[in-house]
Amino acid sequence: MEGTQLGQIPAKATTGAGQGAVDEVDLTPVRTYWQLARQRFMQHSLAVVGLIVMAILVTLALVVPTITGSLYAKTSLSLANHPPSLLNPFAPLGYDSIGMNVFIRLVKALQTSLFVGFSAVSIIVVVGITVGAIAGYVGGAVDNLLMRLVDVVLSLPSFFLIVMMVALFGTGNAIVVIVAIGIVGWTTAARLVRAEFLSLRETDFVQAARALGAGDRRIIVRHMLPAAMAPVVVAATLGIADSVVVEATLSFLSFGISPPEASLGNMLTNAQEFFYRQPILILYPGLTLILVVLAASFMGDGLRDALDPRQRVRK
Amino acid sequence: MSGQTWADGAAIEPIEASASLVRANGGAGRVLLRAEHVVKHFPIRGGLLGVTTIGAVRAVDDVSFEVRRGETLGLVGESGCGKTTLGKVILRLIPATSGQVYVDDRPLFDLNATQLKEARRDLQVVFQDPYASLNPRMTVGEIVGEGPLVHGLTDKAKREELVRELLAKVGLNQSHIHRYPHEFSGGQRQRIGIARALALNPEFIVCDEPVSALDVSIQSQVLNLLDDLQQELGLTYLFIAHNLAVVEHISDRVGVMYLGKLVELADVDPLYAAPKHPYTVALLSAVPEPDPRRRKKRLVLKGDVPSPAAPPEGCRFNTRCWLREQLGNPERCETEEPVFRDVGAGHLVACHFSEEVTPQAIASAAERQLPVIGA
Amino acid sequence: MTVHRSDRPLLEIQDLRTHFFTQDGTVKAVDGVSYEIGDGKTVGVVGESGCGKSITALSVMRLIEQPGRIVGGSVLLRGRDLLRVDDAEMRDIRGNQISMIFQEPMTSLNPVYTCGDQISEAVSLHEAVGRRQAWERAVEMLQLVGIPDPARRAKQYPHELSGGMRQRVMIAMALSTNPELLIADEPTTALDVTIQAQILELMKSLRERNRMAIMLITHDLGVIAEMADDVVVMYAGQVVEQSDADTVFAKPHHPYTTGLLASIPRLGEKRQRLEVIQGVVPNPLNLPKGCLFKRRCPHAMPVCDTPPPLQEIARGHLSRCWLTPAGEPPAVGPEATGELAEAAASALQAPA
Repeated sequence: MEGTQLGQIPAKATTGAGQGAVDEVDLTPVRTYWQLARQRFMQHSLAVVGLIVMAILVTLALVVPTITGSLYAKTSLSLANHPPSLLNPFAPLGYDSIGMNVFIRLVKALQTSLFVGFSAVSIIVVVGITVGAIAGYVGGAVDNLLMRLVDVVLSLPSFFLIVMMVALFGTGNAIVVIVAIGIVGWTTAARLVRAEFLSLRETDFVQAARALGAGDRRIIVRHMLPAAMAPVVVAATLGIADSVVVEATLSFLSFGISPPEASLGNMLTNAQEFFYRQPILILYPGLTLILVVLAASFMGDGLRDALDPRQRVRK
Repeated sequence: MSGQTWADGAAIEPIEASASLVRANGGAGRVLLRAEHVVKHFPIRGGLLGVTTIGAVRAVDDVSFEVRRGETLGLVGESGCGKTTLGKVILRLIPATSGQVYVDDRPLFDLNATQLKEARRDLQVVFQDPYASLNPRMTVGEIVGEGPLVHGLTDKAKREELVRELLAKVGLNQSHIHRYPHEFSGGQRQRIGIARALALNPEFIVCDEPVSALDVSIQSQVLNLLDDLQQELGLTYLFIAHNLAVVEHISDRVGVMYLGKLVELADVDPLYAAPKHPYTVALLSAVPEPDPRRRKKRLVLKGDVPSPAAPPEGCRFNTRCWLREQLGNPERCETEEPVFRDVGAGHLVACHFSEEVTPQAIASAAERQLPVIGA
Repeated sequence: MTVHRSDRPLLEIQDLRTHFFTQDGTVKAVDGVSYEIGDGKTVGVVGESGCGKSITALSVMRLIEQPGRIVGGSVLLRGRDLLRVDDAEMRDIRGNQISMIFQEPMTSLNPVYTCGDQISEAVSLHEAVGRRQAWERAVEMLQLVGIPDPARRAKQYPHELSGGMRQRVMIAMALSTNPELLIADEPTTALDVTIQAQILELMKSLRERNRMAIMLITHDLGVIAEMADDVVVMYAGQVVEQSDADTVFAKPHHPYTTGLLASIPRLGEKRQRLEVIQGVVPNPLNLPKGCLFKRRCPHAMPVCDTPPPLQEIARGHLSRCWLTPAGEPPAVGPEATGELAEAAASALQAPA
């Protein structure tokens, strides 16, 4: 057979086979699933605000501590309780009771909190997807076993468990905090992925891929995971807010990250101690915490709208 | 198969006409696929942990048949009769409970993963719902090209050329290759599904209700396409549908299923002209004809299809059978399962009293029917 | 119950327009539809998905939801315009004079109430009867629609019944108030063919018993042929052909009707190839100028760029096509006579 020229319809192909079906070329631009999702996200104005705020916070947390190095832990008693002043670009928020630069310390704390938040969520997502995918894809006894494990983890009082793990394996260590939050938090993601996989396993397009000879790995990675990701992405974004709050709570209770390392939680503890002398100090970490949580929540809401295929694009 | 693998860098000739002609002529009439005592039970789980089996839905219960090379075997039946499950089981998309399917005398259920992957090139499927059967996150090119890709055609340009050829073959515009399924109408999506099935140059395609989700004017387009492709490529179809007129149009032979069993199997003309099973008679009588001058006195079956989890003893049709009633309810129908037997010229039927199914008997049964409304 | 009868038909739909105002533009789902239903008559409305047949019915019931709106026309029930009565009156008419059944009975029955509860609620909403009486009526209705052991079935929930049984319950509910008009939207599409036969026979018997008119909406030409006295063929929001059933099936005029009838496989007529209607239904946001069917029409000609009027081509037989009653292209020129030819001639002269 002679090779068909590209773009040329083989004469034989149209003999009846395509009778009446070769339609006019549709000139509307092709929009992918992700382009449509982005469009929907952009229509959610709070989500866009959340995204911008989060981008600013992340940039600050990445840039400032790199420049200032270890200054966040430097005490200087001569500067103690220096009031905030916009005229001083080096210390716009002033100095605290032991003479630490509040702005530099705040940004370092933000860095710590975001690092804990994103890392913990990464663990949650990786463990959750793996467990959920295995349970949903393999099914049967394996599914049963893994889901009972989920039930056990869910039935434990989660915050108590985190406190216990941190207390046992190293108070003040960020890695321990991250792992503790991850170990407790993966269950929701696992359940979401499992539920999606169970229904996807029977769908026609997965069956069709199987009929083509596609292997398990290809079916999971190419066909099932992308379809199951939407609720996970939403849950993960909201999970960032949760993790940041848990870390702050732990540090506030002195189980988490302790001075001289900076965290929003231990800055709150510190500010509380000197509340009568410098009440404003409680405001900075408090507001920052609220900003992070709100930004993540708004982004999560926006993503939920964007990734739900039932939502139509508004013009 | 032509024996070439794309990985060798051999010419792409998946829809080669000459090979198909050889296939159609040389191999015509020989058995391509043989299903032997295929059983599929779905366990009903119960108990505290949901692991104890407390029963089974007998979706497919001991079904045997042959599909000959180049023919279309139609499979009709009502929802829940097991026809769709049977289609998936014989492709090994869901595991069978027992039984065996031979493809060219190779036992499909015994193949290992590598052999199975190779066998899949010959066995393809087209699904009913053109919205659920295409991955919404893949382009048409990726969907149609997936089969060749997993079977080793990794060269992107060659794959795209092949996909364009396939799109033209099923009557789609080649410029649609980078579009997503949601941009197409139902009929166009079904053509994409057909192109995907053709991409591996299969011999056998299970068409599971391929037109029932489509509009009337689009159905005929897709039926004609399937017809043309069969002639051109020498394909063999198992055509599963509930629409009896569509099945009559496309099939060479037809099997009728009821509650997980084949109750009748014959060449299309004798089956439609002179059905031998009382269920087939009722099924045909129930079809409303698109011609008001041919309104007929129909034979309406009583009641519903029993649950496949607890099918009736003996003949599964005995609870609704008009013939049994006419014969004075012989006990045999409730105690003895009828044998699927040849009543002449390869016409197979599973009824103890199929000789009693005559035009006179059918007419008198239609006459004797009670009014359909109560009180 | 005494019913006021008059010379007017039971239901007259006149130039009904229901549009949907979507973000992408206005979809004229129903665009100037007129037909009538006489007392005790069954009118079959046939067309493909999106042709506006269901939207017409929902407009009659005034059940159009945002972003849709009835923008014009009138729906006269015994001379009273349903589009101009207030909501309380309309609720009274719905159920009392007009009832509706849908394709998927599971979604129209409330899963948390028993079938008997739901029917007796319908009964007591429209009649001043006590609880026990209403329940007895419900059981009576279930028996009427051929449900075996109705007293027991009345105590069951919808999910405990099969699809066919549920459709019977829906019919029992719709008929419990003795309506003059039953709107049946694809009543058998979700059912198996042997169950469909049961429901069609049931509807026929009830139609005779109650002397009830039926608007039967379906895409299945077989069901239409089986049930309908008159047939309305719809395409892209318009009526394209309308006549009594025998005429539409024996002598269709509009190329769409002809094409539909030719394209369906029929029992006992094994042909080599099916006739095909080319192409696909036009995008409702981007309808062609002139005749909406012209892009798919084998007879398309220059005059088709002007929208053809719905004309009477024979007594009681309407068609929206420029072809002459004999199915010829219209003669255009000085020798051409007749209303259609004149309209065609002027259409060709005037810039479209």
